[in-house]
Parts: sequence; structure tokens; C-alpha cells
Amino acid sequence: MTATDNIFENLRLELRRGCLTLAVLAQLRQEYYGYTLRKALADLGLEIDESTLYPLLRRLEAQGLLASEWREEEKRNKRFYRLSADGEQIFGQLLEEWQAINASINATINNTL
Amino acid sequence: MDLLDRYLQAVKKHLPWQRQDDIIAELKANLESQLEDKEAELGRPLTALEADEWIKQLGSPIQVAAAYQPQRYLIGPAIFPTYWYVLRLATLWCTVIYSIVSAVQIFSGGIANGNEVLEAVLRLPGALITTVAWVTLIFAVIEYGITHSQTKWVPMVPPAVAWSPGNLPSFVKDPVTGKKPRSFAQAVAEAVVEFFLLVWLLLIPGHPWVLLGPGALYLQGSPFQLGPVFMQFFWCVVALSVFQLGWRCLDLARGTWQNPRQAQKNVMQVVGLIPLVLLLTVPNHAAVVLKHPALDQVRYGVTLNTINQGIYRVALIIFVIALIQTIVDFVKLGISAYRKRVGAI
Repeated sequence: MTATDNIFENLRLELRRGCLTLAVLAQLRQEYYGYTLRKALADLGLEIDESTLYPLLRRLEAQGLLASEWREEEKRNKRFYRLSADGEQIFGQLLEEWQAINASINATINNTL
Repeated sequence: MDLLDRYLQAVKKHLPWQRQDDIIAELKANLESQLEDKEAELGRPLTALEADEWIKQLGSPIQVAAAYQPQRYLIGPAIFPTYWYVLRLATLWCTVIYSIVSAVQIFSGGIANGNEVLEAVLRLPGALITTVAWVTLIFAVIEYGITHSQTKWVPMVPPAVAWSPGNLPSFVKDPVTGKKPRSFAQAVAEAVVEFFLLVWLLLIPGHPWVLLGPGALYLQGSPFQLGPVFMQFFWCVVALSVFQLGWRCLDLARGTWQNPRQAQKNVMQVVGLIPLVLLLTVPNHAAVVLKHPALDQVRYGVTLNTINQGIYRVALIIFVIALIQTIVDFVKLGISAYRKRVGAI
């Protein structure tokens, strides 16, 4: 990997990090367990590694943004997650922020083209 | 699936013990669902090779477990600038205090012996490492406290944060020389060199060969010896070296190493003339004397006179050059101050 590739990869990961949180919160307005959430996001075009998504769910739950419960489904115990009340509020704020940033970036790009 | 169980067991070993069962149960449920989907897609169980590939793609057990750990630092970014600042001060003051204490210990027993000085120098790295270790340990404990108490540690922000724009040092530009300001590494290197120069000077009385090389043996066997003025000259140079070292250390401690004040240089230039004045004002220019004047005066009197005249002339030339340089620098300083004053009006 060249130095330029390295820089790109680091910037890409930085860019994705915040977006993934937003995507996960958005998707968890509906209840999912880890694997089905990963599939749902992949179907929408957002591939996330297991080693990124599952710990992220834990962190968001520890921050109080997600609520979870163990439940049996298809003869297997699974941990289901969904957005908590605090999570919904913060998701709304983050969404506004993201839309504003997105609009600004689009305007900047269109301006300079 | 045996391979999956073995994999999860390996991951479990690296997880925080309070949550490992919970995390492994969840991870197992997720991975088993994924495996079922894969097998359903293929319409058959995975072969050993495919299972191996799949598990490998999940990542090494340590990496997977690490993602569940909170980010940990020995000294985190919040307090690192303070740590670095304190570390610099601590190592600097350790060197200064250690040097003073060692000098007092060595010279309280009479004139320095070279071995004692060398031993003191060789003990310095140990003292510095101990200082660095203590500072690091204390900051690691603070970091642990901050991480585990979730407190806002306002006092732990670097002192630089408690600033006011009015206290900022005046802007320094050097358009004439265009020189880059001295880096911290350069300033430290200069202080270290100054320190070793001092050590070298202190070794001279006990081990003249460090100055004269094989000439020390010749001097020992010759009828001549250095006169008492040379000891005064020597201690003057030592005092200058200590003064210079102290000043450099002060610059480092105050954070003013980038652009040392011109006044410092001028003071050093003037004080640097004192040892030369000592040499020049010795009665009869008797810098070198005979070991046994009563016996050797007739035989070596002329040679002695030639040597002393030579020393006097060399000292005089150096003195004149240094004096001219000092006067020129003072004139430049005066012109610069005048221009600033006129510019301000």
C-alpha cells in the first residue's frame, strides 16, 4: 500500500466512523439483533464488518442510546436492540447535523465546480 | 461447529472477565445465524476449507476481543501535553539539582579528583531515568483516576491553557539573519554539550592530559610550571561555564530557548573578558614560573621570559579581538534600540 493509499484509507475510515453510528441508530428505530441488522444495512449498501458492528452496538447501549433484551427466536437466544428514548432524541439531533453538513458540502462542491 | 466454538473460546480469553459470557453468547448467536445463512445459500454444510476461510475472515481472536475493550492509554491525549511539559521541567531540574549537589559533595572534600567527577557524571543517566519513571508513573495514576472517575479535571489541563492574550510574548522577527529559531532539541543538545564541557574542565586539575595530551608528561618533567594566576584563570573559566549552563537551563525551563535574548549574549561577551584580563595583568607577565627558581633561574631564565612574553602576546591579541567584537555588538545593539525607538515614535 502506498503512502497515498494509506492516507486515503485513514480518511475513509474516519469519514465512515461517524456515518456508521448514524446509520445504525437510523436502522434501529426498528428492532434487530446483530446479524440481521448487519444484513439489513448491507442490503441498503452499507457493509459493516462484524468486528465493527457488534462492539459498536455494545458501546451505544452503554451510552444509553440503545435498549436491548435477550429473547428466544428460532430456538436460539438472541440479543435484540432498538433505539431508546434518549437514543431517539440524540438521533434526531445528529440527523439534523448530518443534513446540514451534507447540504453545506454539496453547496461547496457545486460552488467550486 | 467445533471450529467456531474453538474460535469463540479463543476470543473469550481476551475479553473483560465481567462481560465475557454475555459477549460470547451474543457473538455466538450472531455467527451461528450467519453460518446458517451461508449453508442455506450453498445447500450444504461448509467444507473444512470454507469454514477455515470464513473464520479467518472474521479476524484474529485478539483483534475481535480488542474491539470490545474501551480505548486505553497509559497517558491519554487529554493530559499528554501537561505530562510532556512536566517531564521536560523535571528532567531539567533533576540535572541542575544533581549537578549542584554532586559539585558540593565533590568539592567539600577538597580539590576535585577526576574519578569522583566521572562517577558523578555516570550516575546522572540513572537519576534521569528514575525521574522520568516517577513522572510517568504519577501521570499514569492520574490518567487512571480521570478515566475511572469521569471527572472534568480542569487543573490538569496544561498551564498554557490558563493564558491570556495580553501575556503573550512580543512578536520576534529576524529579518536580517533570516535564521530559523532554535529547536528544543538543539537547545537541549547545547545544554548537554555545555554540561560535558564543564565536566571536562573539572577533570583538568586531576588529569592534565585531558587538556595537554602527551604534553602533560613533558610539563611534569620540565623545570617550568603554571603560575598561580592560571588557577585563578581556570576557576574563572569554570564559573563562566557554570553561568552559561545555568542560563541555558533557565531558557529551557522558561520556554525561551527559541530566541535567547541578545542581552544574554552581550553579558557573556563582557564577562568572558575577565579571565583574559587576569592573564594580562599578572605582574611581570609571569603566567609560567620555575619549579625551582633558585636553581634554574640562570639556566632557564631567558626561556621562561620568552614563554611568558608569548603567552602575554597571544592573550593580548585574543583580548583585542574579543573587545572589538564586543564593542561592535554593543554598537549594533544601540543602533537597533535607537531604530526601534524612532520607529515607535
